[in-house]
Amino acid sequence: MDAGLLAQFVANGLMLGMMYALVAVGFTLFFGVLDIIKFSHGDVLTVGTFAGFSTYLGLQALGAANPWVQVAAVLLVATGSMAILGALIAKYLVMPLKSAPPLNILLVTLMLGTVLRECVRLFFPDGANPKRFPRLLPDDAVALGNFNLRLDSVLLFLAGLAVIVAIHVLINRTKLGLAIRAVAQDEETAKTMGINFTAIVLVTFAVGSAAAAFAGVMNGLYYSEINFGMGLLLGVIGFSAAIVGGLGNIYGAILGGFLFAALQTVGAVALPFASAYKDVFAFAVVIAIMAWRPTGLIAEKTSERV
Amino acid sequence: MSFARTLLAAVALALIAGGAAAQKKEVKVVFIGPLTGGVSVNGLGGRNSADLAVRLRNADPKAKYKYEMVVLDDECKPNVGVQVATKAASDRSIIAGATHYCSAVAIGTVDTYHKFGLPIVVWGAVLPDITYGNDYKEIHRVNGTMINQNQVNAAFSTGQGFKKFAVIHDTTDYGKGHNKYFSENLAKHGGTIVGTFGVTADQQDFNAELTQIKSLNVDAIYFGGLTPIGVRIRSQMEKLGIKGQFVGTSGIVSDAFIEGLGPLAEGALAFREGAPVEKLPGGQFFMQKYAEAKYAEAPEAYGAFAFAAMNLILDTIERVGPDRRKVRDALNKVNNADSIVGKITFDDHGQNTVAAITKYVVQDGKWVVWEDSEYAAGKRKLAGK
Amino acid sequence: MSAPLWPGAIAAGLVTALGIAFMWAENEWEVVAVLVAAAVGAVVARRTGWLEPAARAFRERESAMNRLAILGLFVFVAFFHDDHFPLLMAGTVLIYFLVCLGLTIQFGYAGMVNFAAAAFLGVGCYTAAVLTAHTAIPHLLVLAIGGAVAALVGSILILPVLRTRGHYSAVVTIAFVLLFKTFLEVNDTLGGPQGLKLPSMQVLGWTFNENFSVAGVEVSFYMSYVLVALALVIAAFALTRRLERSWIGLSLDAVRLDETAAACFGVHIARWKIVAFTLGNFMAGVAGALYALMLGFIAPTNFTFGDSLIMVSIILLGGIGNPWGAALAAAIVVVLPEKLQLIQEYRFLLFAALVILVLLYRPGGLLPRQLRVYLPGWKPR
Repeated sequence: MDAGLLAQFVANGLMLGMMYALVAVGFTLFFGVLDIIKFSHGDVLTVGTFAGFSTYLGLQALGAANPWVQVAAVLLVATGSMAILGALIAKYLVMPLKSAPPLNILLVTLMLGTVLRECVRLFFPDGANPKRFPRLLPDDAVALGNFNLRLDSVLLFLAGLAVIVAIHVLINRTKLGLAIRAVAQDEETAKTMGINFTAIVLVTFAVGSAAAAFAGVMNGLYYSEINFGMGLLLGVIGFSAAIVGGLGNIYGAILGGFLFAALQTVGAVALPFASAYKDVFAFAVVIAIMAWRPTGLIAEKTSERV
Repeated sequence: MSFARTLLAAVALALIAGGAAAQKKEVKVVFIGPLTGGVSVNGLGGRNSADLAVRLRNADPKAKYKYEMVVLDDECKPNVGVQVATKAASDRSIIAGATHYCSAVAIGTVDTYHKFGLPIVVWGAVLPDITYGNDYKEIHRVNGTMINQNQVNAAFSTGQGFKKFAVIHDTTDYGKGHNKYFSENLAKHGGTIVGTFGVTADQQDFNAELTQIKSLNVDAIYFGGLTPIGVRIRSQMEKLGIKGQFVGTSGIVSDAFIEGLGPLAEGALAFREGAPVEKLPGGQFFMQKYAEAKYAEAPEAYGAFAFAAMNLILDTIERVGPDRRKVRDALNKVNNADSIVGKITFDDHGQNTVAAITKYVVQDGKWVVWEDSEYAAGKRKLAGK
Repeated sequence: MSAPLWPGAIAAGLVTALGIAFMWAENEWEVVAVLVAAAVGAVVARRTGWLEPAARAFRERESAMNRLAILGLFVFVAFFHDDHFPLLMAGTVLIYFLVCLGLTIQFGYAGMVNFAAAAFLGVGCYTAAVLTAHTAIPHLLVLAIGGAVAALVGSILILPVLRTRGHYSAVVTIAFVLLFKTFLEVNDTLGGPQGLKLPSMQVLGWTFNENFSVAGVEVSFYMSYVLVALALVIAAFALTRRLERSWIGLSLDAVRLDETAAACFGVHIARWKIVAFTLGNFMAGVAGALYALMLGFIAPTNFTFGDSLIMVSIILLGGIGNPWGAALAAAIVVVLPEKLQLIQEYRFLLFAALVILVLLYRPGGLLPRQLRVYLPGWKPR
């Protein structure tokens, strides 16, 4: 295989891994503070992307055609509205069920995901069809042999990296992050220390959902296409990535995301069987990893926080 | 359709048909297609088209009966398909049906229709075995099979100078079938396939497959699958700077393909069974009436077939009366019947043999019949040439 | 001393009548009327306390109530004896119920999550398809082999499932069900995406796929499948109940509630988890083999993650660990979307919203599991 081709695979894999990681970070944040899995995460991503898309259409209709203004507005509306949606879901669906069996929350959020997805399909104008997401970033490309590197991909990757670093700083370097970590470690103690538990949970859900919306817009800009089912698979993969990496640990989520992207790329390219088996391969490896490291690659420090 | 819309439609019909309709005998027919899930676009377009056929018939004062269309959702899943097929077929008041877009569902339900003796006309599923895999008199199909489509495709594409192909197909029966028949026919015309890639129908990222295709330096990429992933693959080809021609199947002949891609859709080729709807007088009538009825969804690639299938059923019931057996026998004898997709003639397996294949190319944001396009006239050039 | 039977009998009769009415309802107003009647009836019965005697009858006169429930089902199928569709639905409900009995053992008793129920159902289906097409093995035996193969395939997952817990375990089974469906689609030896056809079930020379008549009354061919499904369900139900009551059930409860404590008291955790997992998968496999024969056709799209979720929602909606709840929920989850056909493309939206509402207002499910009764007449304080 020549170097250009290899570079292309690596670049594609990195981009894919970044999107998975952003979704996985959300799963891991929710699990950290509440010990729950919120399965509607992927569909929140879809709704966020469509909110961003609507913003673009609105700006277009108003005549604000500067692409940088549009990118900023799309991102702002998508992440902002999903932060609110995330907090609402936490307040009205997740918190009331906090003491119910964990499976209930899983099922409720799964069903919520179905509701969100079906709403996009049925109520967004012509929502059952794929939509063309606009190209808002400069698409200059450099071709080195078989390697085609585009400026917009580089920008997207850097933006994704910036979001992950920002979340890392938020968790580890701010007072809010300290509170989130305190809640994650021990809800009761955190409460007695005067931390407003409900507020922290809502903020965490808002941050996680905003990250998902960001990943959705990134997805739209990268693939130039969005559809009502885009969040479904991203959600399942993000969840698997978070688990494989180790729940409750954002490094684990990032590691899991890139690992999953690598597995899919290797499965499609470097294995002796047909590329259609790549998902079979990726999921089989996930099962094997779970058998080898039952609490994920980066295991939680406390053995079991139930 | 919501209750409100059903009610509205009923009221509108009652107004149009007036008092005379009240005395007409009511006859039930069924429409089955995927109304939920990933391919629901096509199911909804088909439902609206079949509904239009029924509405137009009910508005016609000359019609002998008043028709009611029962609509069932098969979810594109065989088990649900068998369920709803049983429901429709065991209901003796239903005389005939236009059924199924998904091949896996249609192949699973043919036994049910045969067992219960419900004559049906398939309106979208393209797998050859649905009609040719059995001797059931109840099963008919207005659209052609994927065999016809790929014969024309292979001959045409090689004729245009595309010899070296890469194939991407989805791993459903639709994509795998297309891959099979295209590969067979391409070999006959001297083309070669240098890489075949199966992808799942919900896949988002095709960079790994496309990067390999790029290194193979192909003349053209054959895509066997439906609009959603067709859009993704075409736009990711652009990202990677792949210059080859994009050759699709009937699954991408939809407005959604063009809307999803914008200017990128330009020059894409695709093939569909049936005469070009836009050029037949009946087809224009259909498009006009469809627009007037103000459905929320477009008819999509197979809407015209759903309309033709339902119309054929209604014609037959008008002629021989609402009796399953008579309708079945009359359908078997359909020969050279006019429809909006061209003449319909069923062979001894109930397959429409006048399966003219129309070649399409995207030009200026529209699917244009190849012969009328600027590409055929030599004013524009296909990619990869 | 024991509770009177008649309130339970009335309840069983009402449920049967409701089931018949619901199946009978054709247009939207009838369906809505039956649903409203059921909801109002349930609320009124709760508020007035009429439900309590019926619940007592279920608790204390169990074997009599089991017979009544079976009788109710017989009334249902006798009512629709020549009507194919209701019988197909009844068969489907019974088969889903059978799978959910397996899941009850896994989720409800041993506390093991399994999101791959559809995959194990699928293994049973494909086993039946291959065996009936290529061998002359008697079809009743095919059902058992279907279960055995599902249990065998499940044993691949035993190591990761045993080592992981909770959400980590969930991801193992989710990965498996996704892998299973993709594998079936890609691999052509098992029919690929086009699926496989199955012949009619035959037992002792009796071909199931033909209508027959009893005393001059024409009976739908689906009746045969319903009766086989019923026999399997009765056997599985009895097994599940006996298991729950026995010391095995007690061990499983201990494993679910606190593994560490259970291990301290000498309960062999791995052993009981393997037993529960294998037994549950066996039931799913048997159900799958019968399902394939009844439908006559199977394809990979029947065995998706979404289908697994339907099974999981059945046991959650019914109340985890209560087989009666699973029975009720199986009927609702299978039949309701079918009745919602009337609203066509909006039905999944409505169905999902309904499930959310039920779980918000009844987190324990429709019929939560009762506390274990150790002695007759014993009541938890």
